[in-house]
Amino acid sequence: MERSSFASRKRAYTMGAIFLILIGILLFRMYELQFVQFDSFRTQAEKQSIHQISKDPLRGLIYDRDGNLIVGNNPSYTLTVTPFKFDWSSLPLLVRMFQVDSNVVRYRVSRAGMHSFEPVKIARDLTFRQLSLLEENRTLLPGVNYIVESRRIYTMKPRMAHLLGYTKEISPRLLKNLGDYYQPGDIVGFNGIEAEYEDVLRGRKGYGYHTVNALGKVVESFDHGRSDIPAEEGRDLILSIDMDLQDYGERLMKGRRGAIVALDPRNGEVLAFVSAPDYDLRDFSGRIPVDVWSTLRDDPASPLYNRCSMAAYPPGSTFKMLVAAAALEENIIDINTRIQCPGSYMLAGQEFGCHGAHGDINVVSAIEHSCNVFFYRLIFKLGFDNLKKYGTMFHFGQKTGLDISNENSGILPTEEYYNKRYGTRWNIGYLVNLGIGQGEINTTPLQMAAYTAAIANGGTYYAPHAVRATCADIDGEAEHLPVRSEKLAMSPAVLEIIQRGMYRAVNGSGTGYAARVAGTRVAGKTGTAENPPNPDHAWFVGYAPFDDPRIAVAVIVENGGFGGTTAAPIAGAIIRRALFGTPTYVPQEIDSSAQQPIAIPVEASAHAELED
Amino acid sequence: MVSRFLSDLLRKIDLGILLPVLLLVGAGLISLYSATHDAAIFVKFQKQIFWSILGLLSVVLILLSPPRFFHYSAYLIYGFAIILLLLVLLFGKTVAGNAGWFGIGSYGIQPSEFAKVAAILALARFLSDSTTSMNSFTDLLKAIGIVALPWLLILLQPDFGTGLVYWAIFLAMIFWAGAEMLLLLTLLSPILVIILSIIDIWYFLGAAVVVSSLFYIYKRNLGVALMFLAINLSIGFGVQYLYDHLPAYQKARIAVYFDPTEAPLSAGWNVIQSKVAIGSGGLSGRGYLQGSQTQLRFVPEQWTDFIFCVPAEEFGFIGGSIILLLFTLFFLRGIILARLIEFRFSSLVIIGITAMFLFHVFINIGMTVGLIPVIGIPLPFMSYGGSFFLTSMFAIGIILHAAMSRDRIA
Repeated sequence: MERSSFASRKRAYTMGAIFLILIGILLFRMYELQFVQFDSFRTQAEKQSIHQISKDPLRGLIYDRDGNLIVGNNPSYTLTVTPFKFDWSSLPLLVRMFQVDSNVVRYRVSRAGMHSFEPVKIARDLTFRQLSLLEENRTLLPGVNYIVESRRIYTMKPRMAHLLGYTKEISPRLLKNLGDYYQPGDIVGFNGIEAEYEDVLRGRKGYGYHTVNALGKVVESFDHGRSDIPAEEGRDLILSIDMDLQDYGERLMKGRRGAIVALDPRNGEVLAFVSAPDYDLRDFSGRIPVDVWSTLRDDPASPLYNRCSMAAYPPGSTFKMLVAAAALEENIIDINTRIQCPGSYMLAGQEFGCHGAHGDINVVSAIEHSCNVFFYRLIFKLGFDNLKKYGTMFHFGQKTGLDISNENSGILPTEEYYNKRYGTRWNIGYLVNLGIGQGEINTTPLQMAAYTAAIANGGTYYAPHAVRATCADIDGEAEHLPVRSEKLAMSPAVLEIIQRGMYRAVNGSGTGYAARVAGTRVAGKTGTAENPPNPDHAWFVGYAPFDDPRIAVAVIVENGGFGGTTAAPIAGAIIRRALFGTPTYVPQEIDSSAQQPIAIPVEASAHAELED
Repeated sequence: MVSRFLSDLLRKIDLGILLPVLLLVGAGLISLYSATHDAAIFVKFQKQIFWSILGLLSVVLILLSPPRFFHYSAYLIYGFAIILLLLVLLFGKTVAGNAGWFGIGSYGIQPSEFAKVAAILALARFLSDSTTSMNSFTDLLKAIGIVALPWLLILLQPDFGTGLVYWAIFLAMIFWAGAEMLLLLTLLSPILVIILSIIDIWYFLGAAVVVSSLFYIYKRNLGVALMFLAINLSIGFGVQYLYDHLPAYQKARIAVYFDPTEAPLSAGWNVIQSKVAIGSGGLSGRGYLQGSQTQLRFVPEQWTDFIFCVPAEEFGFIGGSIILLLFTLFFLRGIILARLIEFRFSSLVIIGITAMFLFHVFINIGMTVGLIPVIGIPLPFMSYGGSFFLTSMFAIGIILHAAMSRDRIA
């Protein structure tokens, strides 16, 4: 047998060597995976087998000052998709069945990353019909499920839409701004208290850690749940709002455009916050129906607009107390200084009118009769610097510090303001007009209420706030929020003179008689904001009881004409209701179409925020 | 009488082959248990126990067969295998895109696995014939034909991976039979051509021309060189045609081989998860039944083609190396036996079978560690699956049978 090449020793060695080389390659590769790349593979193995599933806390509730529930939570059903299990070919069916936007689904599902086992929220407020559709079609919709969430319910009659704000699914822009905490589909507070107290109300998401298999099925809780972070429920808010007064105010303003802001002058608590017209938050407590939204948005009366703290109007004569107080404090005048009112005031060839010739009057009478000439002269002497000094003291041209961020600063004009706006084409007459609260000066009803409260309480400016306290449970201990206040640099004697003027304006022969309330002494001041070419806006600011003020109120009725006839009775009714609980004034129903459309000074981004 | 027979059998059995194999079967069962124990697929473990017992019994049965039984019946067995392959093409059922299954109850049988051993026997028989010369071109063609027939039938199923094994076996056996190195190189060229043609048509054309030129330079036979070129070209284009007509799942497997991260959730998933399993095992592993990849079933089909992940994850580099060491001991013992046995048929059979196992081990573990495309080749003695396991045990039986009779033949 020829064995030269068959199974020769050389060939056996060659074959053995090839075998060993191949095995060696495998060993080397194992070394690479198990030593060199060990860390990254071990991390990956742990990451993909332990999954974090977030648990949403219940949003905090909102109570009124007496502990009655205003805003609660109700279960609602939210459609979810688990990206890992989702079959993209079922997307058209999903879109058809639940009327969801396919781009929303694509964005949210793909954002979850490669191995997401956590359900992504797609659409809220499934109807029972949709729920049963989902149940019937589960096999066609892998990875599609629903979870029970909560949606806001509003339990009381007052609407208070502008103060409370509402909750809504977070927008992509907000998601980017607010950072890591939120996920697409999360609920977030929009506007008002819901937005401002978002951090308090939302609580803190909890996280559960589960071992998950390759099918995305939870096998067991990781580490027996010891590593889980429990969800922290949102804290409840206790408001300072007097719900009866709020409801009453809303009824008073029905059919009108305007605002009522009532404060407690002793601490700055908001008692009523009425902006009319308004809207029903119940429409906003889920997916906002498109038609409801567009109706509200396109309504010429702008019901979405918060007139209490976003709308700014010339204060008219209600501004005169500030001018008087500044002049007294600056010793330009004293209680005995008399100024002659011949019925008009001439300055640089320009005539500034008054509503009558008041003769020789002092400051108290000037406020009582709302004498324009008196205040033309005062402001002329005071000048821009003092106007700025004292205006700023009362937060004109500034935010009051209300505890919701939907607040407009208004405008307190200065020389720089006019220079910037008109260049050289303005004159001292502009300043004179400011003396009676007309012209470029703009104030919000909230600013006027806070200003009135500071006069009423003898010189302490409280930042208005609607939230009194937070609590974990309404029956538990409440944590009172700090009240911010400033003592005004103004002598009590000066303010006492102002108070007397306001008392006389209501109870003397002044314009505010319609605000009188039997059984208490009301002090106040009417105002009429010129609004050419449309009818004037009617103002009234006031407080009561005169000796021990418990309520300060500012009322504006757009296009209401003269403050004394339109706004003063409303203010009186509010004061009466707040102090005695019985109505004295039943407003006649007004056909709102009879009102002139007005140019609302849309300054800030109220609408932009709403439409976000 | 029986005990004497048994002790006689034990004395003659080659432990260098049997011991590594038994240990590997044990390691396979341990791994399979881990991969299936708490799920509906646990039935696979139970079935594998059944296959193990059946496999060992068949080894004993083969050992009882007369000397030179396989030498005599090689062609018969081969013919039987070819008939089975034809039948399965006509009447088989399809599992995972592969039509090569006979169903018997809940058990499936793949004739393509048995046909491997049949082809080894037939090729060994042909190559060991005294009339066969490695220098004869016609004999070479005949040898190729013996392998090509079952290979083509398997390609039709279609099962690309199993088909490849045939050529690895063929090369090892003609090498052992004394084929010239140049011849081997030129025969290797089609494999090169196949791989290159998948990557780029110009690579493969260049390779075919270069190898054919080399052939001409060494052999000075223009006719044969041109024929060789023609064969290479037709193989290359054939592969391209085949690739275009491959079922989508196999195409995806091949495409994903070049970049598994391309399709991390679908075709690349297996490789990525298997690498994570092995890599996260580290030196000593995560502990038996503690591997998160295995226990949480991140590796699909882990019980068949990806069984190696289990010991590599749960027993780490140490566990994986022990398995490789057992295979290596077995392979080296196979080569030594093939050297010791002077009966050419048996020697060739042992080399063919050893090469078959080596190829399986290299491709299978290469797959799980991400070196080689996922082409569906099981790990001998360890992967779940009756057909290949039984084939493997038959093959072990044939080696032991050959080794047992060596004193009588020598």
